[in-house]
Amino acid sequence: MAALLELRNMTVALGRSETAKVILDDVSFSLAPKEIVGVVGASASGKTVLSRAAVNWLEPPLTRRSGTVLFEGRDIYAMKEADMRALRQRVSYVGANPMGALDPTLPVGAQIVEKMRAVMPDVSRRQAEDRVIALLDAVRIPSARNRFHDYPSQFSGGMMQRALIVDALVTNPAVLVADNVTQPLDVTVAAQVIRLIKELTDQFDTAVLFISSSLPMVREASSRTLVIDRGRIVEEQATEALVASPIHPYTRELVAQTPQIWRGAGAVPALPAEREVVLSLRDASQTYRVKKRNGIGGVNLVRAVRNVTFDVRRGDSFAIVGESGCGKSTLMRLLSRLELPSAGQILCEGKDIATLRGRDLLAFRARLQLVLQDPFGSLPPRTSIGRMLEEPLRTHGWRDKEKLRARVLKVMLEVGLAAELYNELPLGLSAGQRQRVNVARALVLEPTILIMDETLSALDQAEQFKLLDLFQALQKEYNLTYIFISHDLAMVRKVCNRVAVMYLGEVFELADNQRLFFDPGHPYTMALLSAMPTLEEKRYKPEDCLLEGEPPSPLSIPAGCSFKSRCPRAMEICNGEQPFLTVRDEQDFAACHLVARTMSPAERASP
Amino acid sequence: MFTLNFLIRRLTQGVVIIGLVSLLIFTLLRVVPGDPVRLMAGGMAPEALIEKIAKDMGLRDPIIVQFGRYMGSVLQGDLGQSFVRPANGAATGGANFNDTTRGERAKVLTLILEALPMTLQLAAVTLAIALLFSAVVGIAGGLNPSGWPDKLAFYISSVFISLPNFWLGIVLTLLLSVKLGWLPAIGYHGFAYTILPAVVLAVEMSPVLIRTLVGAVSSQMTEPYVSVGRVRGLGRTRIIANHVMRNASVPLLNLLGIQFSSLLGGVIIVEYIFDYPGLGLLTINAVLQRDFPLIQGIAIVTSAIFVVINIIVDLVATTIDPRLDY
Ligand SMILES: Nc1ncnc2c1ncn2[C@@H]1O[C@H](COP(=O)(O)OP(=O)(O)O)[C@@H](O)[C@H]1O
Ligand code: SF4
Ligand SMILES: [Mg+2]
Repeated sequence: MAALLELRNMTVALGRSETAKVILDDVSFSLAPKEIVGVVGASASGKTVLSRAAVNWLEPPLTRRSGTVLFEGRDIYAMKEADMRALRQRVSYVGANPMGALDPTLPVGAQIVEKMRAVMPDVSRRQAEDRVIALLDAVRIPSARNRFHDYPSQFSGGMMQRALIVDALVTNPAVLVADNVTQPLDVTVAAQVIRLIKELTDQFDTAVLFISSSLPMVREASSRTLVIDRGRIVEEQATEALVASPIHPYTRELVAQTPQIWRGAGAVPALPAEREVVLSLRDASQTYRVKKRNGIGGVNLVRAVRNVTFDVRRGDSFAIVGESGCGKSTLMRLLSRLELPSAGQILCEGKDIATLRGRDLLAFRARLQLVLQDPFGSLPPRTSIGRMLEEPLRTHGWRDKEKLRARVLKVMLEVGLAAELYNELPLGLSAGQRQRVNVARALVLEPTILIMDETLSALDQAEQFKLLDLFQALQKEYNLTYIFISHDLAMVRKVCNRVAVMYLGEVFELADNQRLFFDPGHPYTMALLSAMPTLEEKRYKPEDCLLEGEPPSPLSIPAGCSFKSRCPRAMEICNGEQPFLTVRDEQDFAACHLVARTMSPAERASP
Repeated sequence: MFTLNFLIRRLTQGVVIIGLVSLLIFTLLRVVPGDPVRLMAGGMAPEALIEKIAKDMGLRDPIIVQFGRYMGSVLQGDLGQSFVRPANGAATGGANFNDTTRGERAKVLTLILEALPMTLQLAAVTLAIALLFSAVVGIAGGLNPSGWPDKLAFYISSVFISLPNFWLGIVLTLLLSVKLGWLPAIGYHGFAYTILPAVVLAVEMSPVLIRTLVGAVSSQMTEPYVSVGRVRGLGRTRIIANHVMRNASVPLLNLLGIQFSSLLGGVIIVEYIFDYPGLGLLTINAVLQRDFPLIQGIAIVTSAIFVVINIIVDLVATTIDPRLDY
């Protein structure tokens, strides 16, 4: 088949000079009509630059040094600007950052109509509106006709990403370049988006260049895959063949580092059941009052965390998983006493943390440390690394300079930061190193509990691997307890012994690793597992369990089972009666009417 | 629904603000030195008579009682009568205490309603000149950050900001009016008399407008929707005209709301220099003559205008950017 889109010897550098850093190095490949081709590579390997080069969207300082792109045999870099703009009808692009992509002050629908009519002047406003609404409907945006008039800020990330897919497909393009479109999305929504892209492109005969940093994600989407490493295409094979028998060492590493979920023995050793309880939640709830925008005064109640009860024992690696907005971060703030619960209790080593004062509070803060999500934002830029790590010690009363320095150097050694970095500013650090600084900052106080809020999600696979190894070594050495707050189930499978699955502020399932992945009790857990991209055959088929849409708003939680609006197995009883966490085994609980309902209320009591 | 709710809330707030401003001015005017009755009646009037007039006018009651009485009549649309000005024109305040009877004094409302349109006209012309000029210079600067239009915008606003308005007023009058005879300057006998004072005020306003526009436009140009717009197939002109200008106008509007009060300060000086018969000139004369009811009336009217303008500005801003919530 003749190539639809062809990159020829594309080389892109960071600036015009001879010595400028080369970002894309002699990249050539082609895309046939209706084909879905995947591109996979680590972060900063040049994927985004590649996708921009493919659609003639390089902006300074990125400079095309040589090579070109042919679309249906025409050189798009040799075109006049007006011709290129007209060609945007046939060459579309969707990126990884949906939130900034549209003007925040105009309704989403109007902007898609504007785009359509800008590249297809013959289409009337009415026709354009009808088509946009039809497509918004096709990407399953609920009540598309009303949503058409909503503003970007009223869309969630997942909905915005779908709206941008509509924006890209509205002109019926021949090629869609999709750069990391699933990156900002939850697994459930990501799975929906991939399915959508496949359906729509099939329906409209669109070819897709599907770019992602996750090999499993690319596998879900594409039939042929290119591997990019440091700006070069190092391998190209049919996707299944590439996964089964990777040739290039980099690809082999990539495949080897992709965590396995069901194949092989679980990596997490079972721990003895009877260990000391270090953190205990008793019906902890958090309700926020937010002002109504349109009423005369009045407040809405947002029930962000609802009656959460579980124990964390010493030595646990406890995972809290769920889609965005399910209350994970609120729970983190409750656990770390950044906020006090509006009802219920949180006990740390037997004491209610809400009642801690003075010395006890300081001791609690030293014992429980947070490692936050964003390593870049949370480090002050003008402070040396050593100084930064001394900071928490000073707050806790350390004064002796020698001791401070010794302690900080010891921790730096433990997390794998070279001692020379002591006097450096954090500016030159890589993402992985910055994350290590963050971890070190938490560790200097010799805590016994570490809470990791999406700590690793900004890192690529290889860095994640190294840090997880580090965490495990530290845990052994100091008998640490970890709480991982994460949406990455593959990571959870690899390192956590116990998992709590949250939805709309509630814990739906609480189980040990093996049980949760092999025999989940709650339909929602099955849905999460079926949506998870993997390199192996799935235990839970998306056809059976995949969810539609997104969780309802925590402002109006449905009566009965709060999952019923999306549950593929909802029954009569789910409408009226709320299921409570119910014991399945000594250790494992699920809140669903499908789990045997024969127990007395006493037995249902605290997990 | 939102708009109605907004209006009710803001108008209520506005009434409270006006009430507070009035109370403040009212109190201040009564504690400053200088007895207005002495001024009205003239230096020769006997002490007993002054006391009698003051008593008759209620000027010896407790301040809060006076204020209540005053606000009561304000609510009925009566801002009282000037202490000094006769109903037929020029200010009095002479030595002859017995030839002025209270009936002949001018109504404050009438005085204000005569002066206000003049000032509104001046403000409108000023705003038109300032916006037009700042838009050309500021947008060009914002679209070419660190290019020559940006530098030009910077120099223009630096020069403008260092020109004192009274100095500029005098220089322009000498140059354009006295020497070249292009524009009339002193007094008011037709629209042309508005132009020179408006130019002076516009020069005073422009620097902040220009800097805000340069900043707003150049920061909007780095927003992702501008860059993404290109790959979506929108032309540069369309992106700038439909989206960048729209977003950049919000900080500009907010600035205008705030600038209004400093414009008022400029108006007083400029009207005085050009002997332009607006609210500013009225204010200065009222202050010089210790014409309490007039000062008080002007304060109420200007704070009402201030409230209304800020409501309009916020209302327009929320229609442009629905994320804003005032
Ligand atoms: N506009 C730019 N300015 C400076 N450096 C850039 C720019 N765009 C990309 N780079 C650099 O090019 C390399 C590849 O980037 P990118 O294509 O974004 O990687 P990926 O999408 O694979 O994560 C990185 O080192 C990045 O820092
Ligand atoms: S209780 Fe009903 S609706 Fe809820 S998860 Fe179970 S089956 Fe689904
Ligand atoms: Mg990228």
